[in-house]
Amino acid sequence: MFSRRDFLRAGLHSSTLAALAPTIPAFLADSARAAPAQRDGRILIVIQLSGGNDGINTVVPFADEGYAKYRNALRLPKDDLLKISNEFGLHPSMRDAARLLEDGRLAVVHGVGYPNPSRSHFKSMAIWQSANAKLSRGDVPDAESKAVLGWIGQALDGGRKPADGSPGAVYIGTEALPVALRGRRSAASVMNRLEDSILALKADAKSTLAGLGSGQDLAAFVMRSTLDAYSTSDRMAEVIRARDRDARYPATGLAGRLKTIARLIKGGVGTRIFYTSQSTYDTHYVQLSLHADLLGELSGALRAFLDDLSAAKLADRVLVFCFSEFGRRVQENGSQGTDHGTAGPVFLAGPKVQAGLLGEAPKLLDLKDGDLKMTVDFRRVYASVLRDWLNLPSQIALGGDFEPFPLLRR
Amino acid sequence: MSNSWDAKGAWSLYRPHAEAPWNLRRVVHLHRRAGFAATWSELQRDLKDGPDAAINRLLKGESRREGVPDDFASIADMLATQAVESADAMRLKAWWLYRMLWTPDPLAERLTLVWHNHFATSNAKISDPAIMRRQNEIFRKYGRGPFGELLKAVVHDPALLIWLDAPANRKGRPNENLARELMELFTLGIGHYSETDVKEAARGLTGWRVKNGAFHEWPPDHDDGEKTLLGRKGHWKGDDVVAMLLKHPATARRLAWRVCEWLMGENAVDDSALDALAAGLREHDLNIGWAVETVLRSQAFFAERNLGNRVLGPVEYLIGLARALECFDPPPSSLLLAEWSAQMGQDLFYPPNVGGWPGGRDWLSSQGIIARANYAATLVEGRLTRYPSSPNFLAQARRHGRGRSLDDLLTFYIELLTGAPPEPAWRKRLRASLGGEAGLNANTVRAAVALICASPQVQLA
Repeated sequence: MFSRRDFLRAGLHSSTLAALAPTIPAFLADSARAAPAQRDGRILIVIQLSGGNDGINTVVPFADEGYAKYRNALRLPKDDLLKISNEFGLHPSMRDAARLLEDGRLAVVHGVGYPNPSRSHFKSMAIWQSANAKLSRGDVPDAESKAVLGWIGQALDGGRKPADGSPGAVYIGTEALPVALRGRRSAASVMNRLEDSILALKADAKSTLAGLGSGQDLAAFVMRSTLDAYSTSDRMAEVIRARDRDARYPATGLAGRLKTIARLIKGGVGTRIFYTSQSTYDTHYVQLSLHADLLGELSGALRAFLDDLSAAKLADRVLVFCFSEFGRRVQENGSQGTDHGTAGPVFLAGPKVQAGLLGEAPKLLDLKDGDLKMTVDFRRVYASVLRDWLNLPSQIALGGDFEPFPLLRR
Repeated sequence: MSNSWDAKGAWSLYRPHAEAPWNLRRVVHLHRRAGFAATWSELQRDLKDGPDAAINRLLKGESRREGVPDDFASIADMLATQAVESADAMRLKAWWLYRMLWTPDPLAERLTLVWHNHFATSNAKISDPAIMRRQNEIFRKYGRGPFGELLKAVVHDPALLIWLDAPANRKGRPNENLARELMELFTLGIGHYSETDVKEAARGLTGWRVKNGAFHEWPPDHDDGEKTLLGRKGHWKGDDVVAMLLKHPATARRLAWRVCEWLMGENAVDDSALDALAAGLREHDLNIGWAVETVLRSQAFFAERNLGNRVLGPVEYLIGLARALECFDPPPSSLLLAEWSAQMGQDLFYPPNVGGWPGGRDWLSSQGIIARANYAATLVEGRLTRYPSSPNFLAQARRHGRGRSLDDLLTFYIELLTGAPPEPAWRKRLRASLGGEAGLNANTVRAAVALICASPQVQLA
């Protein structure tokens, strides 16, 4: 059976092209005059922990009396924790993250959330992604409305487009473009494997679209999106041709996606925002082993990624930000799992972060409706990422002025 | 269409008139929205016979004239059995795509797809093709009847119960997963219930389990205390919760929205039209078949502003091309179709989450667009078949009396796929990129057809 990959190879083979097509393929001609690889500029990588991460069992407040009170079947033994202070320890499967902390490459911000928290996955994720904590019913992007824009997409609207024609933001994964990356003008694209991004048409498709695609209607949108896609294809063909160093990554899905991101960065793609996700954090049922696997995958992938970029002398350009739409309820449920909760820790990783535990941890004996009270508004974290790291305006993206929460080393 | 529901405004009956004539464009529109496109001779037949005959055929499952094997049902069942016995999810995807490609009743498969998206359940958690197949058959069986029957069948079936942790929801130890999604996604929609309603509904739903692969009520786990749900007090059980949600007017509104999300394009319906359809649904026992027929026969459906304003989903695009281009002999491998569908962003039986696929403009990521173009190239090059083949699209056009010149050939395939001739500027550019008249041979014609299939114009319907 002829696989897609075989076809791709055949499609890229120049003699096949010459034999079958009466014209020179556009993408080969275009890439010859492509812009030089970009070597500066700061990059943000967002890892979305989808489903609601149990922050309490991630950065464990073992000294808080509430931990023993509310966590019974799910209580992690104090001696197994990777202690980071007299009060907190990382989950035992987060060895690589603990190592990053020791190296000064990981920061944890406690208790990040927003007022009047929603316990709906969709609404809370929409709030985190849009940075609009007052989303009305009609604005929840449940396909009933496409009007919601993202905090990153809107911030990119106020910045310059990558000079090399790359999209401003790239989502690595198999799902639809996250709302976070939707902007009014900025372009974002979705990618799974690099190889899948190469156009294999034998005739010059790009030239049939020239000059079309103005206006605001759907037809114009499709035309523009198609032109963007063809430009991205040209760029990827170049990255694939570039040789890759032998970086070592764990054999996990998230590590594979971060490796793809590293290849794009090392290939000089001008994109400044990469976004990916790790799912199945929605641990309502028998969560201990699943949660341990997820956190192990996360911390292993993070460390491999940062080490890879260090070896390529590019690590100083990257900041990784990990968040989840909510934490879990403090009281475990009856099925050895946890239901939807509120605030939780976020992670920032990279050589430039203010490493360690930041902010004030919520108290497990001081709850509201059985859930943690947030101590840091998530938009203060965003404000810092946008202003201090990316040098992008944050006022429109965040819907107001938020005091940046200090995250970076001075 | 009797009863007291009186079709006015948007949903009044379509009758061809000067601004909305019954032309090829509307025949193509009908088949691409309600089915998976159609062959040239099916289009010509429906153009000649008029809208009533064309819609009747779709509703009765008689719209397909070509490429329907006599033994369709038995082969489909065999494929499903093999997928289940081998516990291979890839083969289950292939089975469903086989159905879409060869069924005499494409509308039924489109409805099945709508419900797969509405009650989006992923095999990523279920990990059992037998359970996924069973749910899929429920969508097919109840998908065009009263929504109450569909909802009851779906919530009494293992797939959704496992997916949303129903068996872990017990008296004194509630798990809110099923209760919340039941209200937020399957019936009312967000904004029509409170957090307390979620908690109370979860209590009502306690005691629902899966036993020996079937729904099972287990009274010892049920919380039979009094609950207040949507303002009403009672000792509500799971089925009471479902019945109360079905009666709520927001459910009819959400169903009206769901039907229009499928059959109507961007900005083609307003709130009052949705309200009217919702009112009609309430008068017709939430009968989905009634709503579908009402929309398909309406003047709103055939109005100019509802043409070409919807992004085709990956599966619609993928099956539609194979059908319209008559890729019947040899047929495309449905296993490869399943791979391409995932590549385009719609991995059947693996929706991204319980909210389903976002759809619409979101389908057109760079990766999705490249995948569509590469799929089109692979299909027309004859590389999706078990053994490489060389489809002859020039001969095909000539069988239909077209393709005497390159211009006519381009026009023919663009009419087949969009229902209208190309803008002259576009046709000129296509000609140029194909090397002009000298290129009228089987190879160039394949390149031309791939180019047309990949074009932005063909992603809309």
